[in-house]
Amino acid sequence: MRFRTKLTNAETFSKLTASLSSLGKTCWMRLEPGNIRFTIIPDQGTQVWAQLPIDAIFDESSYILESNSGGIINLEVPIGALHRALRSAVDAKSAQLRLTQKGRIPLLALTIRTLSWAPGSNALGITAAPAPAPAPAPGTGTGPGSGSSSNDPPTITNGPTHAPPSSTTTTTDTTTGPARPGRERETVITQEIPVKVFHESAVEGLHEPRCRDPDVHIILPSLGQLKSISERFTKLASPGHGFASAASDAATKPTATGASAAAPKLELSANMHGSLRLAIATDALRISSVWSGLVNPSLDPGQLSQGEMERLPSERMRAVPGDDEAGWARVRIDGRDWGKVLSVGRLSPRVVASFVHETALILYVYLPGTFNEEDSCLTYYINSYAA
Amino acid sequence: MASLSFSLSPEAIYQLHDALMCLGKFGDNVSFEAEFDLLRLSVLNSTKTAYAAFAFDADKFFESYSFGVDRRNMSAGVQSHKFCCQVLIKALVSVFKGRASGRNKDTSVERCEFELQDNHDETECRLVIRLICGLGVIKLYKLTYEPVYIQHATFDRSRATNEWSIEPKFLKEVTDHFGPSAEQLDIYSEHGKTVFTSFTTKIADGKEILRQPVHTSVAIDKRDFEYYLAEDNRHIAINLKDFKAVLAHADIVHARLTARFTTPCRPLQFAYELEGVKSEFTLMTRGEAVEDDGPSSSRAAAPQLSARQTPAPVQVSQQRPPATDASRMPPPSSRSRSLRPLTGTSARASQTPVESQGPQPPVEFDSLFVPADDDRQWDVPNDGGAPAEDELGWDATGDKDTFTASLRTRVPNEESEAAEMDQEEETGIPPTQRISQLHGLGLFD
Repeated sequence: MRFRTKLTNAETFSKLTASLSSLGKTCWMRLEPGNIRFTIIPDQGTQVWAQLPIDAIFDESSYILESNSGGIINLEVPIGALHRALRSAVDAKSAQLRLTQKGRIPLLALTIRTLSWAPGSNALGITAAPAPAPAPAPGTGTGPGSGSSSNDPPTITNGPTHAPPSSTTTTTDTTTGPARPGRERETVITQEIPVKVFHESAVEGLHEPRCRDPDVHIILPSLGQLKSISERFTKLASPGHGFASAASDAATKPTATGASAAAPKLELSANMHGSLRLAIATDALRISSVWSGLVNPSLDPGQLSQGEMERLPSERMRAVPGDDEAGWARVRIDGRDWGKVLSVGRLSPRVVASFVHETALILYVYLPGTFNEEDSCLTYYINSYAA
Repeated sequence: MASLSFSLSPEAIYQLHDALMCLGKFGDNVSFEAEFDLLRLSVLNSTKTAYAAFAFDADKFFESYSFGVDRRNMSAGVQSHKFCCQVLIKALVSVFKGRASGRNKDTSVERCEFELQDNHDETECRLVIRLICGLGVIKLYKLTYEPVYIQHATFDRSRATNEWSIEPKFLKEVTDHFGPSAEQLDIYSEHGKTVFTSFTTKIADGKEILRQPVHTSVAIDKRDFEYYLAEDNRHIAINLKDFKAVLAHADIVHARLTARFTTPCRPLQFAYELEGVKSEFTLMTRGEAVEDDGPSSSRAAAPQLSARQTPAPVQVSQQRPPATDASRMPPPSSRSRSLRPLTGTSARASQTPVESQGPQPPVEFDSLFVPADDDRQWDVPNDGGAPAEDELGWDATGDKDTFTASLRTRVPNEESEAAEMDQEEETGIPPTQRISQLHGLGLFD
């Protein structure tokens, strides 16, 4: 089993792992000859199934993948640790990732080379012939070097009759050493992340969630905006904050604390006429934000026949007039979980949200960049809570 | 009875505050040691594996400094030439809280006066801090101190065989790459590079591979050092948290950091100097102990260790003859108590009849710390088992004369060596033993 590659896009990789690590501690990483898949299936909350072509983050020419099970390697990776390690690589000159082992522990070893400029002690940068390195060495043997003798005068009790020896230390010797020119410094960083290797049979049973055809497809507005509004709403509705706490007077307090275990539920809905609504409701308040003029992407007509197209729920929803409430598909999602999902906004992707009315929300997150968008997609499966 | 008072300029207040913040990372209490020419603030951490000290020069650092001892009327904590006490760092830091930012306000601090109340007719054990601020505002703080005998980590710079010096910012860049769970730091050099590796000794359950810590190693060029005079491939490991605490302060004050050490399992010292302030951090190290460290050092551990129990300092000063004999050993009273072997199995080993051991085979081990027999693991020995292991040796008196005397004995000197030999015969087993040399006692075989 061999896996080795250079990273071409450490920043994307780092951001990707950062987004994933907000949703779960460990990630199933599947290395295939042409693709890499990242899957997070937390006990509770949103599942992510991501697939990237290798050239999205790795250098295709140096990508080596060998294994007995059809050239596929399945790893379980502590995604937070991988992200931390990758942060060292963001500004690096080069970074290499490989699978190795130390003792019996398999590791993903990330080797990073960084370059930085070390200004010399000579401020003007004018250098005479480089002087030999100062060597006030305290000898490595037993005899201390003459320059590094103890600071303590040998006889203190004798009083000031003898002038104490000058307390010259090696430090002061070398601070006055020759000025050094500025130069490029190279730092090599190795991060070893312990991983688990799975046999193919262990992951055969895992598959993406399936659900019925969605009712509404819509391209989400800027995730940054959506995130800040969502967080604002969630905060307002959280017990102990703003209106929610004002609402919870003495009589309603027990119920309010009871509800604090679960985060407030956001209501997200959209129609096939370019509108998206984000709303939250508590006993004390009801707020909503509506975006309009968004795009409802149509499905690729080449894949479906005309008859199938017409039977799609999204096409039926398109037929409902825009001002009719029946044309809206709605899901209720956990505010905190939604915030974690939206952390993928750091990759500044294009996101298509597919609403399955009262059932689920599926986000298709396409990474920007030069590579083929069709192949690189993160799919988020978010369950809808019952009202 | 001792009297101590000093005053600080605003600039010195910030320096003192920075130093206290740094010391606060090592322990809860800061020890004050007032001498005629300096004030030393130090912390020995609770596990006695790290010692941090700042010595403030009486003339250069303070606006005014006065210290006096009334010899007729000694109270606790007072010795003939110094006074020692301990103050809670948190309480002391809170005095200066927010002062660092108030530099331009009308009521910013203009001067800070410290006064120690040790008189019998005054409230006992009070450290009075008076902040004299602008517009005639005076803020008065009265803290309680505790008179104590202070333990020092001894570190003999003249015997440090390895030494390097570097700008702390380079090391800060190195530590930035380490994960939050990293606990220890291993340092070694090879092929012109110096490698810093973080590791964690608390290994999670073996099955939980994913919980295992990330190992990070960072290699920097030796040329990044001001000078690097250490043996290649000599691994030495220290506590990362302590290291970061040192770096943080050295970086704030823009001081170049110098590290000195001999071999693993012997203390390592970081030091730097500022105008009027000397900083020293003596840290426990781990790693592969070196078997042979030269003949002169083979028994040198004895005088160092001899004072590791706290003798009554007053007694020490009484016993000292006016002219200190260079080869004189520290007080035998303390020595006899230091015979407890320092091995990881000290609890049991100390039960074996020490006297019956007779003359020991030459103890090559020259460490204040006991090396683990299998050093590949760098495992922390059981914490609960023997707290005495892996500790520094302390010069409890902090007495310069005694210190110098013990220093001198380490200089290869036939006479003093012979004297030591005699001492050893008298007192039986030398105070250090390798774990491996305890085989055959039937405890672990």
